[in-house]
Amino acid sequence: MTQPVVRELVHVMGTVITIDVFPIEVTERPDFTAARNVLERANEAFSTWRPDSPVSRMRRGEITAADAPPEVSAVVAACTIARELSGGWFDPWAMPGGFDPTGYVKGWAAQHALAELAGLPIAGALVNAAGDIASLGTQPSGAPFRIGIADPADPRRLAEIVELTACIATSGAYERGSHLIDPRSGKPAARVASASVVGPDLGLADALATAVAVAGADGLAFIEPIADYEALVIGHDGRRQSTSHFPIASQPGPGW
Amino acid sequence: MKRASIVIAGTVAGLVAVLEFHTTPAKVTLAGGSTLPAANKPAAATGQGSAGTGGTRSATGQQVNYSWGVLSVKVTVSGRRLTKVGLGYLNDGGNPRSQFIDRQSIPLLEQQAMQAQSANIQGVSGASYTSAGFAQSLQSALHSLGM
Repeated sequence: MTQPVVRELVHVMGTVITIDVFPIEVTERPDFTAARNVLERANEAFSTWRPDSPVSRMRRGEITAADAPPEVSAVVAACTIARELSGGWFDPWAMPGGFDPTGYVKGWAAQHALAELAGLPIAGALVNAAGDIASLGTQPSGAPFRIGIADPADPRRLAEIVELTACIATSGAYERGSHLIDPRSGKPAARVASASVVGPDLGLADALATAVAVAGADGLAFIEPIADYEALVIGHDGRRQSTSHFPIASQPGPGW
Repeated sequence: MKRASIVIAGTVAGLVAVLEFHTTPAKVTLAGGSTLPAANKPAAATGQGSAGTGGTRSATGQQVNYSWGVLSVKVTVSGRRLTKVGLGYLNDGGNPRSQFIDRQSIPLLEQQAMQAQSANIQGVSGASYTSAGFAQSLQSALHSLGM
């Protein structure tokens, strides 16, 4: 029943990112250097508190996206797309203090770190950035990865379990460091207790989860037409609503 | 990378075994900006076997740094089953903000460790920041019990 996993911890972006690799055959520790480098570079480039980071310079208007390093320009472009897809509910340009892509970057960086593991002889891998999780492959048994969604009313419990084909991000006001800002008012707002989004790219899933957490159940309407992305919201009253094909594996049993 | 010795241990993330290889401890940047070694004693897990009680044993994992201080996890197992997860040690510096977070997040992690065992999950979405350090200490506690 037990299966081997090799774990690497990376301390960046004010949190701990866990990289779990599920080897086909255990020989030696995989080389995590490339994946670590991706996360550490992102930490440098996108820090809003380091005054000399490209993002800080953009916030002060010293440089434009076109002048920024390529990865910063790529994130700016992706944020533009996420803003459009979310009907403006995800809007890094509407954050207090100026352009703040944090809601996209953590997932984006985790996704790129995961890509660095693709060449390893492994069944699968997970990169977990404080509860936003990108995955590759499967468990060694061939079974899909199973991820619990914390119950926002009682985070000691799981609300649901999903079978992951790629990524999942969850946003809610209960998280530490969660600053869910309504782009329309510039003030904190969360119309549901939590919103989870699954899809092929963790950066976009992260941005969309933030958008739906702010927009509430009405936000499911802008997720539904996005190919390969699904969302689940848990209301302040505990009520669940989801798009048509959210991949719930099983209801957690009594006592969950 | 040179071949390193392999140690198998259980983990918070369900019924998996974590392969620990010898690595240099990572540095953790604390909220105040100071740094401490990530693990005070990487192999400091202590087991307290009590064979006379039907296979119920407990152990405290290594002390690990997390965002707000240092913690270690204490586990109790019966046979191969995790029956209790709690804190063996916690020093969050007494900062009210970190104490507030700890009061919320640590019971959550204790509960999630128990759930992960019965739910066969590999992670929790929407989980708290403390989890990686907690998982690391939990692994070492389980390892010291041969799980």
